[in-house]
Amino acid sequence: MVSERLQKIILNELKLDNFDLRDETTANQVPGWDSFNHINIIMAVEKDYNIRFKGLEILKVKNIGELQKLVDSKLQ
Amino acid sequence: MLCFINFVRFLQYIDFNKVEQLFIYDPSNQLYFSTSFFIFFFFTLLLFYRVFAKSKNLKIYTIIFFSLFFYYKNSGYLFILLFVSTFINFYFGSWIYKSKTQSVKKLLFISVIVIDLGLLVYFKYTNFFIQIINGMTSGNIQFLNILLPIGISFYTFKAMSYVIEIFIETMEPTTSLRDFVLYMYFFPNILAGPIDRAVAFLPQIAGEMTASKEDIGKAVFLIMSGLFKKAVIADYIGLNFVDRVFQVPLRFTGVENLLASYAYTVQIYCNFSGYTDMALGIASLLGFKLMENFNIPFLATSVADYWRRWHISLSTWLLDYLFKPLQMSFRRMRTFGSALAIFITFLLVGFWHGANWTYLVFGLFHSTYLAVSLLTQKFRKAFYDKVHLTGTKFLKAFQIFITFHLLLITAIIFRSDSLHTAWEVFHQIFRYFHGVVFFQWVAGYTQVFVLIMLGYILHFIPKSVDNKIKNMITASPVYVQALLLALMILVVVQVESAQLQPVIYFNF
Repeated sequence: MVSERLQKIILNELKLDNFDLRDETTANQVPGWDSFNHINIIMAVEKDYNIRFKGLEILKVKNIGELQKLVDSKLQ
Repeated sequence: MLCFINFVRFLQYIDFNKVEQLFIYDPSNQLYFSTSFFIFFFFTLLLFYRVFAKSKNLKIYTIIFFSLFFYYKNSGYLFILLFVSTFINFYFGSWIYKSKTQSVKKLLFISVIVIDLGLLVYFKYTNFFIQIINGMTSGNIQFLNILLPIGISFYTFKAMSYVIEIFIETMEPTTSLRDFVLYMYFFPNILAGPIDRAVAFLPQIAGEMTASKEDIGKAVFLIMSGLFKKAVIADYIGLNFVDRVFQVPLRFTGVENLLASYAYTVQIYCNFSGYTDMALGIASLLGFKLMENFNIPFLATSVADYWRRWHISLSTWLLDYLFKPLQMSFRRMRTFGSALAIFITFLLVGFWHGANWTYLVFGLFHSTYLAVSLLTQKFRKAFYDKVHLTGTKFLKAFQIFITFHLLLITAIIFRSDSLHTAWEVFHQIFRYFHGVVFFQWVAGYTQVFVLIMLGYILHFIPKSVDNKIKNMITASPVYVQALLLALMILVVVQVESAQLQPVIYFNF
């Protein structure tokens, strides 16, 4: 389940008003989420939650559900 | 008895030395897709494939056996290097997966990457480095006698995708050495790509490995269009026009140099995408789906967009395995960090193509285009908004035009034997244009002109039209499909004016 907080960060960074972000949604399905914006989103998530990802952890992430899980594991 | 005597008489007419030669490596007579021996090779393979239809194991070994022969015919004993690369990556993949601690895992991963890149650099760049060192120190180090193993850049990247994906835990290693050998040796993509990912290819071996009616129709279309693009358009305009101009640019006017640059741009597209189409078609007949490599590249509205449409298997490889990790580690530098990551990535794209200053400068141009484009993105968008151009057809057409000509500049550098030759081409275009020569040129080179136009028309055909033709071929009876293919082979034989031209990308 993608939390509202994470959805808000992503939509805000991509300047999207509304987009249905589900667990299985991948970056290329979301308008504007290209390889350049990708890093901005990752940094926005790090800043908002005050966490820090490792490079390898981010490379493994395949969809938004996995990003949510990674964020959750960092918060514990 | 009479029959036997006739058979013996018939055998007398066969020159067995020549037959033997066909099966032995000969650098002047290699086994490319558009040679007549390849047709024999491939039909023999299909025959065995059909006979062994019930045993997947035998089918796999059939492809492996034919692939080994195919690679041996093109590279001679250097195929041993491919063996080495295959075994190393297979076992390292397995060890990386099994390693208990992160530090051991990392050590194994770094070792295998060093080995892979070490072999690639040794075989491809040693003499280039010697040349640079000699140039800087006015030294006189002897060049080493190193032969370039054909396709090394492609299969090294294929192998690396396997170990990288295992390391970042996005795939599990295969336990079957047989399957991994098939992935590495698979002859349709071994010489010039597409650089298929292990994660997409290996599961297909576990599948049916048979071609459906759709696959066959699609394959006939791809092989036909590939043959036409490569053997008719690319080879003809290359031999009869582009090569002549780029050999001595100063002997031609600016307008001819410019036309040769336009011609080369479509030549390399037809050459490389034609070869890829044939690879996709041949693989499809064996029941394998390879990666798409081209998507109307000259319709790109930016250089970044171009790299999403041209040699897609290489650009996505570098994007996933090099650009993204670099971008992550430079992320504190924000946009500048991304620009730096893209700069490094595309400099290496240039270098990947070969050991020559022209390729390095080609990479440098693309790096600069992409980095500047990224850094000025916001300003350009604001400007287009202000003058109400955002989203208009005019802006799109303008962007396509500019992008195409930015690419044309790099194509000139890419094609030239040296930076000096490239400089001469630019000099002629800007200093010695003589536009009126155009009409004389069209009169003198009518066939070349028609083929250049045809090449661009074929390139711009929308995917939807391609699909309609594919469906039509699929719906037609098998004998019609066979007839179409035979007709295309006939056309190619007729047009093939001189010796066969190897695929430009074999050298990389």
